[in-house]
Amino acid sequence: MSTESLIVFFIAGVVMVGGGIIVSELVAPTSKNAVKDETYECGIPTKGESWVQFKVGYYLFAILFLIFDVETIFMVPWAVVMGELGLVAFIEILIFLIIVSLGLLYAWQKGALKWD
Amino acid sequence: MIQIKDLLEVLPLLIIAFSAIFILLLEVSIKKSETVIFGFSLIAILAAIATSFNYFNKEMIIFNQFLRISNASLTFSVIILISMLITVIASKSYIEKENVNFGEYYSMLLFALMGMMLMIFANDILIIFIGLELMSVCFYVLAGFLRLRQKSNESALKYFLLGAFMTGFILYGIALIYGITGTTNLTLIFSDAKVLTNYVFIIGTALLIIGFMFKIGVFPFHMWIPDVYDGAPTVVSGMLSTAGKIAAVGTILPIILAVNILNFKIIFSVAAVATMLYGNVIALAQTNIKRLLAYSSIASAGYIFVGVASMNEFALRGIAYYLIAYTFMQLGAFIIVAMLEKKDDGSRDYKNVDLDFYKGLGKRNPVIATFMTFFLFSLAGIPPFAGFWGKYYLFFAAIKSNQIWLAVVAILLSLIGVYYYLKIIVYMWFSESLEPVSEEKFSFSDTGFAATVLAVIGTILFGVDPNLFFSLFKFVTP
Repeated sequence: MSTESLIVFFIAGVVMVGGGIIVSELVAPTSKNAVKDETYECGIPTKGESWVQFKVGYYLFAILFLIFDVETIFMVPWAVVMGELGLVAFIEILIFLIIVSLGLLYAWQKGALKWD
Repeated sequence: MIQIKDLLEVLPLLIIAFSAIFILLLEVSIKKSETVIFGFSLIAILAAIATSFNYFNKEMIIFNQFLRISNASLTFSVIILISMLITVIASKSYIEKENVNFGEYYSMLLFALMGMMLMIFANDILIIFIGLELMSVCFYVLAGFLRLRQKSNESALKYFLLGAFMTGFILYGIALIYGITGTTNLTLIFSDAKVLTNYVFIIGTALLIIGFMFKIGVFPFHMWIPDVYDGAPTVVSGMLSTAGKIAAVGTILPIILAVNILNFKIIFSVAAVATMLYGNVIALAQTNIKRLLAYSSIASAGYIFVGVASMNEFALRGIAYYLIAYTFMQLGAFIIVAMLEKKDDGSRDYKNVDLDFYKGLGKRNPVIATFMTFFLFSLAGIPPFAGFWGKYYLFFAAIKSNQIWLAVVAILLSLIGVYYYLKIIVYMWFSESLEPVSEEKFSFSDTGFAATVLAVIGTILFGVDPNLFFSLFKFVTP
């Protein structure tokens, strides 16, 4: 790949993103009123502040979900070539699964799965 | 396909990785397991150091060309292991004092250690990136480990935001290098001489180097260092300033030497001079010893970059020597600060870290004051301590690369450093204590004391006999 195409790519990127914003600013019909300046919240009028406390449990569940997420990402390519690689690949993925599930075990023992 | 044989050839890395995971399991399965975990992590690090020495003089590329074991990478990894060993020993009494005696602390240290070693052994830019992230994430957590102390949280957040931003630079650099060469394998990248003059490749390399300059704390990217080291738990600050820096230097130095873009030489020289000037001059005005040591670590990054700027065969030797000396003296000084620090009382700031507190320390606590004096003399570069030889070999490399001006400037700027190191020594020995001094009763059974003794031994040993280092790490003696 030559460096010229990189420059073209860069300019095209800027034009496409910037151009879209500029054109919509020029062409699109606008009607300004007070309601439009409010924060969008499912169409219902907003109430209260946006800085509210919420349960840390949500974070824990999100992080635990990540374990399975990563696991799946690794298992899909493994499953595709599993037939060719045979037993060695099977043992390797088992080792990987054990290490990943140790993470879950740790969180479980620490009480991250209890919701109260 | 990964062979079992390959696993045996990265034994130090495996030991650290599995003990880090094992510690987490110990933590949840045994009650009151902190002491067991402490002992276990000590044994793991010692085993890793012992096994590392088997691989010297055996250049090899393993794991589908992902890892590369060479004398240089082994040297840096052993220095990091030594630094971590001292940190772990010192941590025990410190985290007990600060009421955060959790087993996860040691696990975090070992995971960071694994990331650093992975980064240094990497022969592929993506492995470097994985190692770097593993290290950085653990560092963010460790910096905020005193979770009830606001200052520690602030330091972790600052470190995280800036670190994440700089990760972007590194990734963009990697993307450009991959775009030009079509590979992430370092051996393949360096084997193509035509690519090395391509200017997109040079921009990519420059971005990569900038990311690592941030981690090392070189001048335009140094701003996070004082705030983070000031707020982080003191032992962790010591670890960040030694192990973290060594890992970044040990990773980027072989790349700089292999790419060998001579235009970078002048940039590195200017960065080195600016870093030394900034670190040393700002340190003069500090009244908090943690911030003073942080600025002195910026100045040290400048000395290291004097070596980087010389880009010759002496550079590696000088930098490795300086880094091992730096590990002992800087870490030792931070551990002494940690030992003298006041017990956690729920306040926002750390207590007893002002320079005024050190007035008259020599009368109150002669042993600790003597050790601190050794470390400060070594940092100032006064023989017979290791810091002298570290600076000697670095400036020697600069002279050998026909940059005599750089060596002269570096020596002049390190003279500024002598002033503020000597200031603390004068405070300790020739000033009267300010009344009233509230000091914890210090005991010799403190594990911090054992760590300090280790650091003192290292500082003196490598200062008295510089050839010891070269024979230990199989360098060709000059």
